[in-house]
Amino acid sequence: MSSAPVITTHGPAVVGDGTTAASRARSRWVRARWPLAVLGAVLVLGLAASLFTPRTSTRPFAPDNPADQGGRALARILERQGVEVSYVQTSAEAAALAQEGTTLLVVTTFLLEPDQLDALAATRADLVLVAPEWNGLSALTDAVDLGFTSDASTLREASCTDPDAQAAGRLRSQGQDLIALSPAATLCFPSGEGGGAYASVEGPRRVVVVNDSGLLTNDRLAQDGNAALMLRALGAHDRLTWYLPSLTDTGADPQPSVGELLPPWTGPLALQLVAATLALALWRGRALGRLVGEPLPVVVRAAEATRGRGRLYRRSRSRGHAAAALRAGVAHRTAARLGLPRSADAGAVIDALARATGRTTGQVADLLYGPPPTDDAGLLQLARLLDELESEVHRT
Amino acid sequence: MAITWRAVALTAFGVVPVLLVPATAVAVAWTLLVVLLCAVDIALAASPRQVAVARAVPGTVRLTEPTTSTLTVTNRSSRRLRAVVRDAWQPSAGATANRHPVDLPSQESRRLVTRLLPTRRGDRRADLVTIRSVGPLRLAARQASIEVPGRLRVLPEFASRRHLPSRLARLRELDGRTAVQVRGAGTEFDSLREYVIGDDVRSIDWRATARRSEVVVRTWRPERDRRVLIVLDTARLSAGRIGDVPRIDASIEATLLLAALAAKAGDRVDVIAFDRRVRAQVAGASGPRLLPTLADALAPIEPALVETDWPGVVGAVRQRLSQRALVVLLTTLEPAAVEVGVLPVVGPLAGDHQVVLASVADPEVAALRAGRATSSEVYDAAAAERAELERAAVTVRLRQRGVEVVDALPEDLAPRLADTYLALKAAGRL
Repeated sequence: MSSAPVITTHGPAVVGDGTTAASRARSRWVRARWPLAVLGAVLVLGLAASLFTPRTSTRPFAPDNPADQGGRALARILERQGVEVSYVQTSAEAAALAQEGTTLLVVTTFLLEPDQLDALAATRADLVLVAPEWNGLSALTDAVDLGFTSDASTLREASCTDPDAQAAGRLRSQGQDLIALSPAATLCFPSGEGGGAYASVEGPRRVVVVNDSGLLTNDRLAQDGNAALMLRALGAHDRLTWYLPSLTDTGADPQPSVGELLPPWTGPLALQLVAATLALALWRGRALGRLVGEPLPVVVRAAEATRGRGRLYRRSRSRGHAAAALRAGVAHRTAARLGLPRSADAGAVIDALARATGRTTGQVADLLYGPPPTDDAGLLQLARLLDELESEVHRT
Repeated sequence: MAITWRAVALTAFGVVPVLLVPATAVAVAWTLLVVLLCAVDIALAASPRQVAVARAVPGTVRLTEPTTSTLTVTNRSSRRLRAVVRDAWQPSAGATANRHPVDLPSQESRRLVTRLLPTRRGDRRADLVTIRSVGPLRLAARQASIEVPGRLRVLPEFASRRHLPSRLARLRELDGRTAVQVRGAGTEFDSLREYVIGDDVRSIDWRATARRSEVVVRTWRPERDRRVLIVLDTARLSAGRIGDVPRIDASIEATLLLAALAAKAGDRVDVIAFDRRVRAQVAGASGPRLLPTLADALAPIEPALVETDWPGVVGAVRQRLSQRALVVLLTTLEPAAVEVGVLPVVGPLAGDHQVVLASVADPEVAALRAGRATSSEVYDAAAAERAELERAAVTVRLRQRGVEVVDALPEDLAPRLADTYLALKAAGRL
């Protein structure tokens, strides 16, 4: 074998991997088309979902809420009449949009801070206050105040000179009655106690106060003269700012965000680092050729069966079987060492062992043919005693 | 397509202009610039598909011996080729340092040598040769993997050959012994020589002495031209691992030593590997051709997870043997398997031939048998003891049927089997 000549085989020269640019492009396309198709389908579905899902909210009195408590019906009708409705939820936006010649609708005021009310008061747009609380009313107009609550089920007549109220004719109000503090205020839809459901204050800016927010909801818009009153009050100008105060907006300058606190080069730097990281991933991610596989022989330890049998003994606590095996092994080896034939019976083995080790036959018989141990400690003890016995036997 | 660390560094260097002019546009522009440079670099790189690659690899190598795989790379494009070439092999071919940097002008060749140190017997195949050709800016590269076939047959280690000289010496001792020492059925007359003091007087050939003036004795030598058939069991039991190698590797070692010895002793050696069919066979090879042929035939054999077809083995043996021969069964002395497999069929075979059953013992079982530290170790020890007893019992039953049994640890099996062969030969039982 050492004399075997080493024959080196020289293979033919291979040029290229048998592909062309076109075939590579084709195979890439074949590989990528299903993932691409799935990706495309997901994108199209997502786009369709975002396009066809109506943008609605569930906030009461919001112009995009189609539920009973929403205001979408009113907003839609106004838009169809050519009024541009801007829905805002912060006082800063509301103040910014409320230019002269527009209408600013404020729905409830109890969430507004004094600063926010001052900002709204400083605008020059016509104001429509729907269901204002005391704080808002006192800050935005000094001609109207709140009175008592009166019976909600009573149908009230306009009973005033305001054309909007007259057009509406009659309505039911569930709000707190309004009372006039100055002659500039026209009070309409009076209740029995002298308060009104609607007040308009003429001045440099027109202020309309409606005491019941329910008038603009989808639920009640079609009742009585609600629609006429609200459409006329809100549709006076081409642009309407629909301001619904929110809990999170306190009017104060918002905390500067982390982005604003960071130096200006942070963003571009992060972008550049992301690009570098991507490049790093591309560099390390491209392997120099594929991994090479190799079929390996099975890994089964040859002693596995023996271990398995040991575990079976242990699990079933077969101390009898285990002790018998240990005893038989020792008897077999010592008998062979003492030159006994394989056919020698127990008595002959005991006698021979007793002679060889100087023990009594009773001791040897007990060790080799005694009762099985009753616990693991007994088995351990027996194993050690057997080892001792075996070590004392030498070839005669 | 691939990029180099330079492209990464260039991209990272973009933080400098970004810090000087902090604008998103600068970052985007820099990245686009890098992409553009990479594209230009790729366009200018030599095509890895215009590189001719030829492989030269030795057909065979013995396990644990180093060898080399040589790639001859020729740049057939008109551009300079700066590339890294990877010569990929299966892991147990032991190809280390198989990535070679190459800088080749157009139309020039270079030889790339990959060192191989196989760690496992069998056929090892070369995988794809990957060429990554870097552009002149060294920013980006084109890459192609080319199939350049290559196969390395890793022969059995034959570590047991170190036992061969001592066994050959013992074989020579058998030659030329006087009749009394070795006389038996298997000895034949060799020659006559002059009596020297110490020779047994019973071997004096009086007839020849009468014709000459000196006393002449007859000498004897062992019989030659016997047949030895080694049957290698490649079924499931040969797959069990002892240490880190399957049992079958120890069996192959024993096969090689016995074949070498028997061939030197002038016997004809045939080998078959069998599980449910003949997986490999060497017949009729002799002289110096025997061992290379044998190693080559046994190298790719892997254990099959099937049960050995013992009647089939006996059939195959009978088909190959007409006269009395030594039949060596290299299998496993697994009591249950021997009970149902070997024992029923081996009796008639042992009547016609001298049968030796050689088995690889597991040192782990011996270690288990000595365990006394905990009660669970004692249970394992009891199981090992029981297994040993069963092996002893089945060995006795085999011997009763006239089968010699050799049960030895993996490293001892080859010399023990050789010794058994020598003993049988000395006793003239072949």
